[in-house]
Amino acid sequence: MIARSLARWLLALVVGAALTPADAGAQGAASAVTFNQHLAPVLHRACAQCHHAGGAGPFSLVTFADAAKRAKQLATVTTSGFMPPWQADGHPTEFVAQPRLTPDEVALFRRWAESPVEGTGVAPVPPRWPDGWYLGTPDLVVTLPAGFTLPGENSDAFRIFAVPLKVPGTRYVRGIEFHPGNARVVHHANIRIDRTSGSRRLDDADPLPGYDGLMARSAEYPDGHFLGWTPGQIAPLVDPDLAWRLDPGTDLVVQLHMQPSGKPEPVQPVIGLYFADTPATRTPSILRLGSQGIDIPPGDGAYVVQDRYTLPVDATLLAVQPHAHYRAKDVVGTAQFPDGTSRTLIHIGSWDFRWQHVYRYTQPIRLPKGTTLSMRYVYDNSPGNPRNPQTPPVRVRWGQRSFDEMGDLWFQLATASDADRAALTGEVQRKMTAEDLIGLETMLLSTPDDSELHDDAGVLALLLGRPAAAVGHFRASATRRPGDAAAHYNLGTALTQAGLFDDAVAAYEQALKLRPRYARALSNLADTLVVLGRTDEALARYEAAVRADPLMPEAHNNLGAALWRRGDLLRAERELNEALRLRPGYAEAYFNRGHTAVKDGRLVDAAGHFRLAASLKPDWVAALTTAAWVFASADDAEARSPGEAVPLAERAALLTGRGDARTLDVLAVAYASAGRYDDAVSTAREAQAKAAADPALAREIARRLALFERRQAFIDRQ
Amino acid sequence: MLGRSSSRVVLFASLWLLAVAMPSRVAAQVTDPAGRTVSPLTASAPATVLVFTAVDCPISDRYAPEVKRLAARYAARGVRFWIVYANRGERAEAARAHAESFGYGLPVAMDASATLADRAHAEVTPEAAVFDAQGRLAYHGRIDDRYVDFGVDRATPTTHELDDALTAVLAGRAVTTPAVPAVGCAIVRQTP
Repeated sequence: MIARSLARWLLALVVGAALTPADAGAQGAASAVTFNQHLAPVLHRACAQCHHAGGAGPFSLVTFADAAKRAKQLATVTTSGFMPPWQADGHPTEFVAQPRLTPDEVALFRRWAESPVEGTGVAPVPPRWPDGWYLGTPDLVVTLPAGFTLPGENSDAFRIFAVPLKVPGTRYVRGIEFHPGNARVVHHANIRIDRTSGSRRLDDADPLPGYDGLMARSAEYPDGHFLGWTPGQIAPLVDPDLAWRLDPGTDLVVQLHMQPSGKPEPVQPVIGLYFADTPATRTPSILRLGSQGIDIPPGDGAYVVQDRYTLPVDATLLAVQPHAHYRAKDVVGTAQFPDGTSRTLIHIGSWDFRWQHVYRYTQPIRLPKGTTLSMRYVYDNSPGNPRNPQTPPVRVRWGQRSFDEMGDLWFQLATASDADRAALTGEVQRKMTAEDLIGLETMLLSTPDDSELHDDAGVLALLLGRPAAAVGHFRASATRRPGDAAAHYNLGTALTQAGLFDDAVAAYEQALKLRPRYARALSNLADTLVVLGRTDEALARYEAAVRADPLMPEAHNNLGAALWRRGDLLRAERELNEALRLRPGYAEAYFNRGHTAVKDGRLVDAAGHFRLAASLKPDWVAALTTAAWVFASADDAEARSPGEAVPLAERAALLTGRGDARTLDVLAVAYASAGRYDDAVSTAREAQAKAAADPALAREIARRLALFERRQAFIDRQ
Repeated sequence: MLGRSSSRVVLFASLWLLAVAMPSRVAAQVTDPAGRTVSPLTASAPATVLVFTAVDCPISDRYAPEVKRLAARYAARGVRFWIVYANRGERAEAARAHAESFGYGLPVAMDASATLADRAHAEVTPEAAVFDAQGRLAYHGRIDDRYVDFGVDRATPTTHELDDALTAVLAGRAVTTPAVPAVGCAIVRQTP
C-alpha cells in the first residue's frame, strides 16, 4: 500500500510538471466544472431556446459535443456579455423572459473552457421544442409569400411585406408568435397592422414579394400593443381582456431586418396569431416619447436627445420599447414620481441596434397621476464609433432609413377606466402627432422637393389645428406639382381653414381648371363662396358638384343647406334626403332637415331630426342646443319634450365648460320647460353674466329671466 | 506509467525542436473532401492564401463574397486560394456541401489535425494566411476590419489587411503588419 501510494505521488509530480497550463485546471478534481453537472442546466435554460436545431440561433448548443466544440467561444461571448443577448441593466427578474447569466454562471463557462469535460452521470435531458409553436397551436397562421431571396452580400437589409389577415369576423388577438423561417439571415422583425390598403399597394407595386423603403403611415401598432420579434423573445399571451381588436380586411405588415449570410437565402417567415374567446374590455395606451428634430453634426461623440411627459391620470406601466439606429450608445428612461422619488425604467449602456427588444415588466409599475416620464439618449457620431454606418461621419438628421437616426421610447400604459384612457390618449395623440410633424419637417430639410412629404406634413398640420403651417406645406406641394389638381385642392382646403377665403377660391379654381369635374373641389369652393356671401355662385357650384359626383353625400347635404337658405324648401329636402340615402346616420343632414322642417312650421318633424343629429354626434354642441331648444320651447305642445331638453342642454353646457352665454340660455329655457324655475333663474343669471359682450342676447335673456321669476316657461313664437 | 509520462515530456520537446528546424518547403499534407491527399503549400505560385473557415460559423460565411472577390482578382496573377475547413471533427461531406452552397469554386482542404492552422497560427474562422513563393508565412490574421468584436461590425471595412498583404508579397515587399488578430469562431483543435 505504501509503495503504491508513493508511486502515485511520484506520478502526479512528474505529470504535473509536464502539463500545459490548460490541463492544470482539470486536475483540481474538487472544483472540476463538467458539462453534465454545471454547463448543461445553464445552456438549456439561457441559450438553447434559440440555439437548437431549427431554432433562431445559427448553431446548436444542446449536447456536450455542441458545447465542447465552442467551449472557448462560449467563455469569450458570455464574459463580454454579447451572449445571451440582453441589453438592459437592472435586476435579473425585472423583465419578463430575460435570458441572463449570473456572474457565477459566466465564471463556470470560463472554467469549463479550460477543460471542457463531460463529467460523470447521465446527461440532463435537453429541452424539447417540437417543430410547432411555443405558445400552442395558433388560431390563425400567416405565411409570407415565397419568392423573396436576400442577396448574399452587402450590409444589413430591410424589406417590408403586407399580408392579409383573413378572419371571417372581428377577432381579439392575445399574442403572436413569429418564426423567422430562415434564422441565418432574419435578425429581427417590426410588426404592425394596416387597416387601409396603404401598405398592400406599396407591396403590390414591387414585382417581388415585399417592398423596399419605409413603412406606410397607415401601418400602426394595434391599439395599445407592441408587436415585434427579436431572437429569443416570445411575448407571452396577454390576458383576454387586454387583447387587441382585429377586423376583417386588416393586413399584417412585417418589416424584416436581415443580415446577409454570404450566399443568397430564401426568406419566408411564418406568423401565428392567438385569439381570445371574448371581446377585450380594457385597451392599453401607447405613449411615445422622443424627438424627430434630431440633427447630429459629424464628429459629435455625445449628442443628446431628451423628452418628457407628465401623466394626467393614474396609470400602470406594462412595458417599454426603446428604438434608435446605429449611433445611439446610451439609452435611459426614467419615472419621476409626484412624491419626488424617481426610478430608472430602462437603461442600456451600450445600445445595439440589432437587439430591439420589448421590455415587459414582471411587476407592472404603478405611475400615479403627475408622474413625469422621461427619456435621454446619447449618440456617438464620431469616427471612433465602429457602428457608425458612415465613414467618415456625416451630418445625420431624423429619418426612418437605417442611416438616418431615430430616438423613441415607447411606453405601454394601462389605465383604470375608459375615461382615464380617453384623457390620456387624447393628449398623447396630440403630442405624438406634433412630433410626427417635426419629423416630416426634418426630412424636408434634406429633401425639400419631396411633395409627398409636404402633403403628409400639411395633413398633420390641419389635424393639429395649425392651418397656416398647412398652407405653407400644401403651397410648397402645389408649386412643385403645378399640373396636379389634387395639390391645388389641398391648398384650397387649408386656405379655407386658415380664413384666407379669397386665396382659397383661387386655389379651388386652379384645381378646377385642371380637372373641371372635380366634385370635392366644387363642393369646397361652394362652401367658401357661402362664407364670402356669394350665395348664387355657391349654389351653382354645389349643383355642379352633385352633377360631377352624384354619389357624394356632402355635396347633396351642402346643396340642401344652400337651397334652404334661399327658401327653396322642397328642393332642399330632396337633396338632404338624397344625402341621407347615400350615408345613413349623417348627423349634419338630419340637422339641416330639422331646419327645413322648422321653416316649414313642422315642429314635431324638426324635433325628431334634431334628436337624431344630437344622438349621432353627441359632442356636437350646435345639435345638442338646437334639439334642446325645440324640445323646451316649441310653439307646438306635441313637439315639446322637457324631459329630453334638460339632459341635452346640460351636456352642451358641460362641453362648453359653462362658459357660453347662448348655451346657458338654452339650459335655462330647458329647466323652465321642465318646471324647474329655480334652476332656470340661477342659470339665466349665469348666462346674463356671460352675455355682457352681446347686448341683444343679454336683453333676450333678461326678458326670459323675468318669465322664469314669475314661474313661467318660455315659448318661442317665431 | 512513470516511463510513459517521461516520454511524453521528451516528445513535446522534440516536436518543438522539429518545428523550429522545419524547412519551410516541407509539405504540409492534408486531404480534400474526397479523401485525396493535397499539399496546398507546395504549389509553385507567387503566393498562396489559406482561408480558414467552418461549416457553421456565421462570420466566416459572411466573408464568402469578399473571399471570392479577392480570389478572382488575384487569380490572374497566379495567386492560389484554398478554403480550409479547420475544425477537428468537421465532416468531409458537410464541408463539400458547404463550399458548394457558397459557390467558392476554389480548392478545398480538410485540416482535421490542424496542420495548416498550426503553420498559419490561425485561431479563428475566418482568418487568412498568405505564404510567399518560398512557402514562408508572410501574413496571418483578419481579412479586413469589418468586424470589431462579436456583434460589432462596420457597414464597410476601413482597412483591407489581406488585400494589402498580397499586394506587398507580389511586389516582393515585406508586409507592414504581418499579423492582425481576427474576430470569429474559435478553431477547434482538440476532440472533445
